This record gives sequence, structure tokens and C-alpha cells, in this order.
Amino acid sequence: MNLVAYLDPGTGSMLVQLLVGGVAAAGVVARLYWDRLLRLLRIRKDKPELSQAEPDR
Amino acid sequence: MAARGVNLATEAGIEVGSFRDPDSRVLVTADGVFRVLSDDGLAEWEALVATPLWRELQEDGSVVATERVDLDALPSGLATGAAAALRHARVRFVSYPYEWTFSMLQDAALAHLRLNRRALDADLTLKDASSYNVQWLGSRPVFVDVGSFERLREGEPWAGYRQFCMLFLYPLLLQAHKDLPFHALLRGSLEGIPPHDARAVFSTSRDRLRKGVLANVVLHARLEDRYADVSGGEVKRQMRGAGFGKALLDANLRKLEKLVGGLRWRAGETAWTGYGEHNTYDDASAARKAEFVREAAARRTGGLTWDVGCNDGTYARIAAESADYVVALDADHATVDALYRALRDEGRPDILPLVVDVTDPSPGLGWRGLERAPLERRGTPDLTLCLALVHHVTITGNVPVREFVGWLASLDSALVIEFPDRSDPMVQKLLSGKPDRANPDYDKAGFEAALGERFQVDRMQPVSETRTLYEARPRA
Repeated sequence: MNLVAYLDPGTGSMLVQLLVGGVAAAGVVARLYWDRLLRLLRIRKDKPELSQAEPDR
Repeated sequence: MAARGVNLATEAGIEVGSFRDPDSRVLVTADGVFRVLSDDGLAEWEALVATPLWRELQEDGSVVATERVDLDALPSGLATGAAAALRHARVRFVSYPYEWTFSMLQDAALAHLRLNRRALDADLTLKDASSYNVQWLGSRPVFVDVGSFERLREGEPWAGYRQFCMLFLYPLLLQAHKDLPFHALLRGSLEGIPPHDARAVFSTSRDRLRKGVLANVVLHARLEDRYADVSGGEVKRQMRGAGFGKALLDANLRKLEKLVGGLRWRAGETAWTGYGEHNTYDDASAARKAEFVREAAARRTGGLTWDVGCNDGTYARIAAESADYVVALDADHATVDALYRALRDEGRPDILPLVVDVTDPSPGLGWRGLERAPLERRGTPDLTLCLALVHHVTITGNVPVREFVGWLASLDSALVIEFPDRSDPMVQKLLSGKPDRANPDYDKAGFEAALGERFQVDRMQPVSETRTLYEARPRA
């Protein structure tokens, strides 16, 4: 299966899909931020989040 | 998908407009329109045809008629490296979004969203959202890119959303909310209108409160800025982890469908904008003109007719009594939009209305100027109607009479043309703002001389005191 789509959806365009869906998206957004909150409060183990892409060396 | 003597292919034979998707390329040969699939492309095709959806889409005509053929069916040399080949039904006349009306783009967008929702039900999705993947059978949209279907990867956002915005949603929002015509913007950029550019137009807070603008335009542009350097893979993973999935994809498509379906372009809903031209006729003149066109069309049954300057489509409809297919062209967007809506409501499959200004017809665009073909290279007409037009092109457009007749001759088609002489009220109106000696080549004798040079005139008939109709064939 072709895992690399020929069309790059773009990170911003992916995130805005959480805002277009209205009520249906609210749960997903809440969970996304709940995970971050738990990490912030160090209740959940820290994972790299929305990391900046590594520059080419 | 071109017609009659047209070769838009590169040297390798690939239709240039399709080469961005390596898994599914289109080639047009004298034998038909073929799609060449890679191994990955074949896997997606097999997943598609295994669903009950495929049969439904073929039966209801929402996707172009398609069959799998032997690789032997491809011209020699083109089957190399291919896993499979498909053959598509030809589109009678290919058109592009920068020639469609507001309502056509809206209906094409709705067709695309509905198709994607049906695909979701079958655990498939459309991997892109290009408006160029929609073509028209008269007033009915047909999806032509079978290679867009792929198996749904659970938890992934819609890869085509940004493209949907750039090529469908933003042009519609700009026309509906700002009365900004989208044709020049789409013709200027085949990728469509980027979120940044759309945001620049929706600049006031009142604009941003309009339906669909805040999330799809303003926040979209802002998030694109903010996350420009963030890799998509990690975001995708987090979204999946938070429960993004099929239900939300479907909710997004529904929301977009509601948004697009609710858009209205008010200027397009006013009455026929070209009505004044029709007022220059009394009933008897109009009847004579209709009869002249009907007889000329009946002499050439079947084939393709162009009605250049179609106005409300009266004569396109008369031509369609005899022609297989009529392409109705007019530069006035609102007029063509009204015609489209009328044809759509009647379910006409044989008249395609397009917004085209013949003094500036669609050129070849994209890679090597070959991705999108010029108007004249998409299938030239067997009969061209040119009624109540020549004075607009030559007086308003300042195209010399001889030059305009030369263009008509280049179409190599039979011609029905109407010439209003200098004393015609409409001609007087067009000349009224100009100096006395403006457009000196515009008179009946000069027109007839120019016509006679390039055409054999078979019949001429006065339709009113100031107007004459000519039926002609191009000279060899």
C-alpha cells in the first residue's frame, strides 16, 4: 500500500479539520488537550509533542 | 480526455493533466481513454470494484463508465511497467472550473462531497479533491478520476481538505460573500486559491463572521502559518490517538456539504442580464431567426455545435434538436448561470453551458502549457452559431471584423452568423461612446467581403430591417 500520499495534506490543514466538524469534533479536541494537560501536570509520561521537524544536516 | 484529432499527450503518450498521480495515469489514443495503473493503483482499484458501491456508481452515472481491459489494448510501449489498464467512456467536451458558473462549481463541489461520503460508507475515501476531476454530461456532473478512490486508513484526516478549500470552497465563498468572480483566479493558478490569499480578501470582522469563513479560511490560514515547520506525521498520530476517525470525517463532509449547499450568489439570481438584446426583435423577426437556425442545424444532424454568445440559450436549444451535443458559450457569468440552472432543472444531458469570452478564450495552461487545453483543442464544432455577437466582439472588443471571421474559419465548421448593420439600435448604442470614425471596418459590405473570402455563403436572409442572417461553409 502506498503510505506516502502524493498530496501533502499539510499540518495546519489537518488540525483545522478538528474545528470544521463542530460538535462531533469537540470530543476529539478535548482528548487532545486532556492528554497535553496530563503531560503538563506530569501525571502522564512525557512524549515528544508536535515537535519541530529536524533540520537536515 | 480530448476529442477529434487532438493530441494533448507528451511524447510518452501520457495525458499531461494526470501525471501528478504516478499510480494512475491517463492516456488518450484514437482507440479511447485509458488509465494505466501501477501495482499500488491496481490494489486500490481491486478494493474499489470489490465493493457494492462500485456497481451503484456505475449504474447511477456519478462516476464515468469504466472497464478493465487487457494491457494488450494499450498502444505498444505504453504497457511497460503497468500492472493493469482501464478504459473510460469519453467525455463529450472537456471543460475546466474557470469556465463553469457559480452554480456549476457549487453542484460539482456537492457531488464531490457526496461521493466521498458514499466512499466512506464503503471504507474508502477520495485521496484528493480536485475540481478538475469533475466533468459534465450536459448539466450533470460526472466524476472522472477513478484513481482517486483508495482504502480508508482509519484515524487519518482527509488529505484532500486543503485542495477542496482551494479549488471549490474558496472560489464559492468569494463569489457568494464578496461577489468576486473566481474565473480569473482559477485560470491564474491551477492549484486554486491558497488559504492566505482567501484570508486577505475576507479582511473585515464582518467578513469573518460570514458562514464558513472563520474556520475554513481564517483559522486555516493561521494554523498553516503556525505549523508550517511541524511534521505532519506526529500530528496525525496524536489526532488518531485522540479519536479522530471515520465518524469525524463524515461529520466534516456533512458540515461542508451544508455550508456549500447554503451558499447563494445573489447577482446570479437576478433575471437574464442579456435580455435587452432580445428586445430588439419583434415576434415575427424572432420566429424567422429561430426557423433559420433550425433549418441550418437540421442539415447537419449529429455532431457538435457551439453556440458562441448563447445568451439565454434559446438557439442552443434549437440546435440541440439536431446536434448530439451543444456547447453554449457566453462571457456573461450571470446569464450562463441562469441557463445552467434551467438546464439542470430540466435534466438536460445534451447542452453544456460555459462562461467563455471569445475575445479571450481559455488558453493552454500548466506544465508546458499542456495540462489544460485551449478551448479550440478540446473538440472543434461541426456547426457554429454566432448570433447577436459580432458587434460586441468587434465594436466593444475591438477585434477587427476580418480577424474575427478568420477565427471562425479556423474552427473549420459550418457557420450561422447574424450581422446587425451600423444603423441597428444596439450597434448605435455600442458606438455611441466612441469617436465618429470608430470601427470603420464595421459595415455590411465589409463584413460580407470578409465572410466571402473565408466561407462559401449558402443562404442569407434578412431577419429585421437592420439584421441579416448568413449560413456558410468554410472554403477548402
